[in-house]
Amino acid sequence: MKALDQTSSLFWLLVSLSVFIESLRLGIGTLHNPGRGFLTLGASGILGILSLILFLRASLKKEEVKAQPFFAGPLWKRILLVLIVLILYSRLMPVLGYLISTFLLMTSLFFILERKKIVSVFVSSILITFVTYFVFSKWLNCQFPDGLFGF
Amino acid sequence: MGFFDNILYGFQVTFQPINLLFCAIGVLVGTLVGVLPGIGPAGAMALLLPATFKFSPTSTLILLAGIYYGVQYGGSTTSILVNIPGEASSVITCIDGYQMARQGRAGPALGIAAWGSFIAGTIANVGLMFVAVPLARAALSFGPPEYFALMCTGLIIVTYLAQGSILKALMMALVGIILGSIGLDVITGLPRFTFGINELTDGVGIIPLVMGLFGISEIFVNLEESLEREIFKARIKNLWPSLKDWAQAKWAIIRGSIIGFLLGILPGGGAVIATFVAYAVEKKVAKEPERFGKGAIEGVAGPESANNAAAGGSLIPLLSLGIPPNPIMAIFFSALMIHGIQPGPLLIKQNPDLFWGLVASLYMGNALLLILNLPLIGMWVKVLKIPYKLLFPLVLLFCLIGAYSLNNVTFDLYVMIFFGVVGWIMRKFGYEGAPLILAYVLGPMLENALRQSLLISQGSFMIFITRPISAIALGFAFLMLLSNLFPYFKKQREKYEEFKE
Repeated sequence: MKALDQTSSLFWLLVSLSVFIESLRLGIGTLHNPGRGFLTLGASGILGILSLILFLRASLKKEEVKAQPFFAGPLWKRILLVLIVLILYSRLMPVLGYLISTFLLMTSLFFILERKKIVSVFVSSILITFVTYFVFSKWLNCQFPDGLFGF
Repeated sequence: MGFFDNILYGFQVTFQPINLLFCAIGVLVGTLVGVLPGIGPAGAMALLLPATFKFSPTSTLILLAGIYYGVQYGGSTTSILVNIPGEASSVITCIDGYQMARQGRAGPALGIAAWGSFIAGTIANVGLMFVAVPLARAALSFGPPEYFALMCTGLIIVTYLAQGSILKALMMALVGIILGSIGLDVITGLPRFTFGINELTDGVGIIPLVMGLFGISEIFVNLEESLEREIFKARIKNLWPSLKDWAQAKWAIIRGSIIGFLLGILPGGGAVIATFVAYAVEKKVAKEPERFGKGAIEGVAGPESANNAAAGGSLIPLLSLGIPPNPIMAIFFSALMIHGIQPGPLLIKQNPDLFWGLVASLYMGNALLLILNLPLIGMWVKVLKIPYKLLFPLVLLFCLIGAYSLNNVTFDLYVMIFFGVVGWIMRKFGYEGAPLILAYVLGPMLENALRQSLLISQGSFMIFITRPISAIALGFAFLMLLSNLFPYFKKQREKYEEFKE
């Protein structure tokens, strides 16, 4: 945990410094009439102090308990793949429309999580796509993009 | 209108077909969410919220309350049968609930959990009716300094009660305040921290934020592990607890209800903490504490009552003061704001249909849950058997739909994915999401109250000390912060004593 705490505290210190500088730029006003950077200046200032305390506390720890590696689970690569698929979906949904992009999303997710027979993956994906489309779009009136093909 | 007239009026509102339907959908979805790991109550509420836009705020609140109650009920099923808590508020139920199931007493464990939840929910409703109205009346005299102090206290309590490091929880609360300030400044109307992105002018949406921090990150954590799990296979019988079970559990239910209700009202408190306190109390007062951990029915009854009572109690600060005491109530708060209702002391007076309709719906929801949970337990067990390989893609899709349908912009999807990764990394580094969400919601109100207070006092911070309520609240918060240093001083003193010897 020591190394993790050191890294994260430095990250938050950096964030607090950036927010502090930006708050000053936005203008903190006066005590009589506080400006739009007033609260964030205070919040980032305290965040910076707390980050420093966390860093010092972690650094001064004598015992180094063997920290779990960051990618602890054996299957962390799955997360990376799922993440890529989710970003692609967000990018493609306005272009391809809900039906096509959701079908592609579900197919990819099923393949990533378990390599099954293609037919069963396709059937499950089509079913889920149409059921969610009718529930959310037709019944609950959510407005999904039509995309290039108009559906 | 008198007290009983108000209750009758509330039932008239609840018995409208649309509200009854929303109550039933809410408790069903809530139980389902409670049974299944992954999406969580905040995620489920966020998912269904966009679907309520064309309905009244009363119906929306009834739906959300149903989900919140249902989750507390449903969470116990997985704790007892699989030893995996469906929700954080059912973690403690695993200890004795699963042991009871292993001894062939899954039925009485599920039964007492359902009955305990029902009784506790009813007690909390009565408390809600008696406490919320006078508190709202008293809150009418509160000004910006009192609100600022109360919100500060709430944030300090939520960090103090954090399960991990208090220092990290405080840091997360500050990050939440900074996140909440993204968008247009309320007083000057000018943008800040938007990085030139137009979509950020309205700020970071609470739905993508919650879905990302709780829903997506939970799935990422699960994806790292094996997707297999063991389901309890024995037949569940005798759902009605025996007279002996009732005799053992009755005081645990009463104690759990009172503890849950009181901790629910507390800003920063909530169902999770209430269950831990209730379990500790039961173990402490038990004649044979060694039974705990080996299938003691009080170990199920106490915490399960506490989490339902806390759900009712936590509505009080929101409905009477306009201050959400925990992240779930922050979603309620956002739902009210989306529907154009300003939460605060005038809410009950100006929207009696909403308040009394909600109170009556809680009675209705409790009864529905009891009816649903016991006979339908077989169905919930079947739901448990849905493989994660099918469940996770579905939950991911629901999160995407929920985040998108709020504003119909893909930017919200990116925000959700971003916070999903942030939430996953936060878990790895030992940071909690709850203080961040609460501070994110309270941040703009906190800033308003601070700036208004300073305008009133012409720049003097003494306004927070000269007014009794704010002075007491801030003094309490300060003492809580200070109490964190006691263990450090004690340790130093021990070291000094050792050195002296």
